[in-house]
Amino acid sequence: MTWLGGWLHELILVVLMAAFVEMLLPSKSMERYARLVLSLLILLAMLSPLISLLKGDASKELSAAVRQQENSGWPGGGKGKGGESLDQILADGRRLAAGARDQSLKLAAEEIAGQMRDQIAGSTGAKGVKVTVALGMGKNPEAPLGQEVPGIISVTVVLPPPQGSAGSSTAGAAGGSGTEGSPIHIEPVKPVQISLEDSSGDGSAGQASPMPEDSVAAGAGSGGNDTRQASEADAEAGNIIRLLEENWNLDPGQIKVQSTGADTVKS
Amino acid sequence: MEIIQIVGIGILATVLILVLKEQKPVFAFLLTTAAGILIFLFLIGKIGMILGTLERVAESSGMEMIHIKTVFKIIGISYIAEFGAQIVRDAGQESIASKIELAGKVLIMVLAVPIISIIIETVMKLLPA
Repeated sequence: MTWLGGWLHELILVVLMAAFVEMLLPSKSMERYARLVLSLLILLAMLSPLISLLKGDASKELSAAVRQQENSGWPGGGKGKGGESLDQILADGRRLAAGARDQSLKLAAEEIAGQMRDQIAGSTGAKGVKVTVALGMGKNPEAPLGQEVPGIISVTVVLPPPQGSAGSSTAGAAGGSGTEGSPIHIEPVKPVQISLEDSSGDGSAGQASPMPEDSVAAGAGSGGNDTRQASEADAEAGNIIRLLEENWNLDPGQIKVQSTGADTVKS
Repeated sequence: MEIIQIVGIGILATVLILVLKEQKPVFAFLLTTAAGILIFLFLIGKIGMILGTLERVAESSGMEMIHIKTVFKIIGISYIAEFGAQIVRDAGQESIASKIELAGKVLIMVLAVPIISIIIETVMKLLPA
């Protein structure tokens, strides 16, 4: 009999409250809608023993449904109460932090590349050198707790075409100023023909055959000049690698020097 | 004696608005809004007292909190929607005012969705399959 008493108790209270709230409502236009919801509440209170019999706890069901509705409602409605929304906020924060770190790494890489370019230009006199620096997060061996610190992963130096580099390496800074006036002029690569059976073939094949590795750069000048330029570019690349190693405390394997004219790749 | 204060504020604001409306209609609208907010602030303490009493009675008699919460949400939504709609209507924007009222009605109906779903589920279980 106690459950009957409790049920009646609740029913009476809900009906009284509904009547009271209906008076409290401000306008006629809202009244119909509010009355509908209030009558549904009264119906729920009347049915609550039945719901408890069939589905378990009625009020627990209702509060779970309401909470689910609040969480899946529009952005302002939920207020981020659930645990999953907290996880989402934390994930968003981590993503934003990673984005900010990437951006600062990119800025620092550009700054370091500018400094390296200035150093190369100052020591070797080469103008128009393109330096690309890739930064990444690496483990700091000195720091406790394995913190990650940014470090240089690789450096790529692209040398200017051989006219500029040859002039600057022979004449130093004066040659460099001379190359500034003349525009950089890259001739298209001529078609390379390789004849295997005979070295005394036509003229163009004979020109290309003695030095196959330099033949890509043959468009820039004659064959005799190519070998000299290639060796000069090699020497210059060695100089740049040594300079960067000393100044920036890098491994030689991290530095890559490319010469656009002679197409030599040194690392 | 708060009713005298509130009526006094209302009459004073009405006279000022009537004077101001000839010169600056925008400021008349601002004054209307301010007077409405002032009266609402006077009342908000009383409304809170009523709601607090309801909550206390319901808690002491062992009523479900989810019912109380739903009822309070209905009251809040209808008051806020009505207040906003009246301010907008005073400024002459009848269509926006009706949109605000529509939003209030929809939000009240949304409160009914969990209740309706539970009732319907129960009824469907009662019916023979």
